[in-house]
Amino acid sequence: MLRFFGFRLLRAAITIVMVVTFAFVVLRLSGDPALLIMSVDAPPEAVAAFRTAWGLDEPLWVQYFKYFSAIFEGDLGRSMRDGRPALTLVLERVPATLALTIPALLIKLCIGIPAGITAALHRNSLLDRLVMALAVAGFTIPSFVLGLLLVLLFAVQLGWLPSGGQESWRHAILPVITLGVGGAAVLARFTRSAMLEVLGQPYIRTASAKGVPWRAVVWGHALPNAAIPTVTIVGFMVGSLIAGAVVVESVFSWPGVGRLLVVAVANRDLAVVQCILLLVAATMVTSNLVVDLLYGALDPRLRSGLASAPKGAAA
Amino acid sequence: MSDVAIAAPAARRFRLPPTLVMFALGWVGLMLATAFLADVLAPYSYTALDLRNRLAPPIGFGGVLIHPLGTDELGRDVFSRLIYSIRMSLLIAFGATLIGAALGTSLGFLAAHFRGLVEQCVMALVDFSASIPFLILALSVLAFFGNSLTLFICLLGLHAWERYARIARGLAISAGSQGYAAAVRQLGASPWRNYGRHVLPNIASTLIVSMTLAFPEIILLESGLSFLGLGVQPPETSLGSMVGYGREYLTRAPWILLSPAAVIVLTTFSVSVLGDWLRDRLDPTLR
Repeated sequence: MLRFFGFRLLRAAITIVMVVTFAFVVLRLSGDPALLIMSVDAPPEAVAAFRTAWGLDEPLWVQYFKYFSAIFEGDLGRSMRDGRPALTLVLERVPATLALTIPALLIKLCIGIPAGITAALHRNSLLDRLVMALAVAGFTIPSFVLGLLLVLLFAVQLGWLPSGGQESWRHAILPVITLGVGGAAVLARFTRSAMLEVLGQPYIRTASAKGVPWRAVVWGHALPNAAIPTVTIVGFMVGSLIAGAVVVESVFSWPGVGRLLVVAVANRDLAVVQCILLLVAATMVTSNLVVDLLYGALDPRLRSGLASAPKGAAA
Repeated sequence: MSDVAIAAPAARRFRLPPTLVMFALGWVGLMLATAFLADVLAPYSYTALDLRNRLAPPIGFGGVLIHPLGTDELGRDVFSRLIYSIRMSLLIAFGATLIGAALGTSLGFLAAHFRGLVEQCVMALVDFSASIPFLILALSVLAFFGNSLTLFICLLGLHAWERYARIARGLAISAGSQGYAAAVRQLGASPWRNYGRHVLPNIASTLIVSMTLAFPEIILLESGLSFLGLGVQPPETSLGSMVGYGREYLTRAPWILLSPAAVIVLTTFSVSVLGDWLRDRLDPTLR
């Protein structure tokens, strides 16, 4: 058990280091930030002063190590636009994004999982086909199309809800629905196929044959086993809470992390982009780690050191 | 409908695909034909202006006959732009899907063949790409490297590579323990021959199914990025950038974005339906 966790922790740490390195290399090598921020015809002395001020004149590996050690001190650089610490700038936006993504996550869970379970329990029935058709539709409509259609209907035609901005809770309704629908569809598909796989297992037949009531078979045997793959995808959704709304925030002019990212990318504000990348990766890695720990709680087989054996044997 | 369901078990192998799948096939065929014949089909160039008929609505909504789907702010024909956009979006999606499949499968085979350190490296890369939502990754790379079509396609090609890598690695390892791969190896075949001629065809159906599942995701990504103004750049046009452009005229001229939006939805829907159907037919293990 301890080894299992130790291994996972190590992998998470390696992933974080890789993300940091990637962010540094890609964003530093892709162009000369000094020339991008200053205009092309800026005087050479000004450009040189800018380089010295931001440490851009030092060798790359020195910049890299400085960057790395600064991160461990919680210093993620300053926005090259207004000089404020990038981390503050990003953290300011997090509540706005969470105000959209957390309600959306609740919608996904409350609609997606029950819909998937119901569809699986009534396989090939009309209900199943309806749920699956809706799920495929929900999954294939891009969020910006859905968002714009909702704006067209509820804001432009009916005038019930505002089309964008962040003044009141009413402004959040359309973006939350837009985010929730797609995720609920994905979750419904996942839950359904996980349930179908479990329902086909011999132990379900055994439990039914022993005379266990169907309700108890579903709740006691099928659901806990089907929870394992579902937890993975939910973990992914939790991991993308911070930056899972880039497109939707743009559609509804919602001042969250996603909008900040798009603007920072357009302005080539390196520190802010790096900061968001790191934050997103850290959230994702943490959430994956929690999912791994949950596996241990959900599936006793994983605790007894057979970590990789059961999956391979089952397939 | 109910007759088919009752008769299904007996005649299973020979029955026609369901109506929805037939529709999906038809739509995908239509889109492919449109993409190939874009130059013949489009009445105008996608940059041609018609300043007399700016923001003309489609036929049936008071529009003029020469612009069946209306025109945009600059008087460009929406129908012609739609056709060229379909070509662009499909080109990108096909290119990216092939790149992703080739890259992922090769890395998966490498991991399966060498095991040890190589495998650990590949798996670390898989972890890495699973740790950042692809849209975020793509956004940062695109904006910082500037934007060219080739780069854009290659970038989207990175989208699902880790999925192919996982599948190819897993299947190649299990193939290695099966008789045929071992037999070929002992007959003296090179690893190239072994993986290319023997293992690959045996796992191809699973990979093809993954490709059909990744294809609509790439269309969605491409259109999303183009919608944000960070994908296909004007004067080139794609389905997503048409929607992004039309967004400015949402209240005055909704037809600019409605037709490309409908094409995106129908295409991703059709390919998804086909992918699900293929998966059920070819590869029950992926369920």
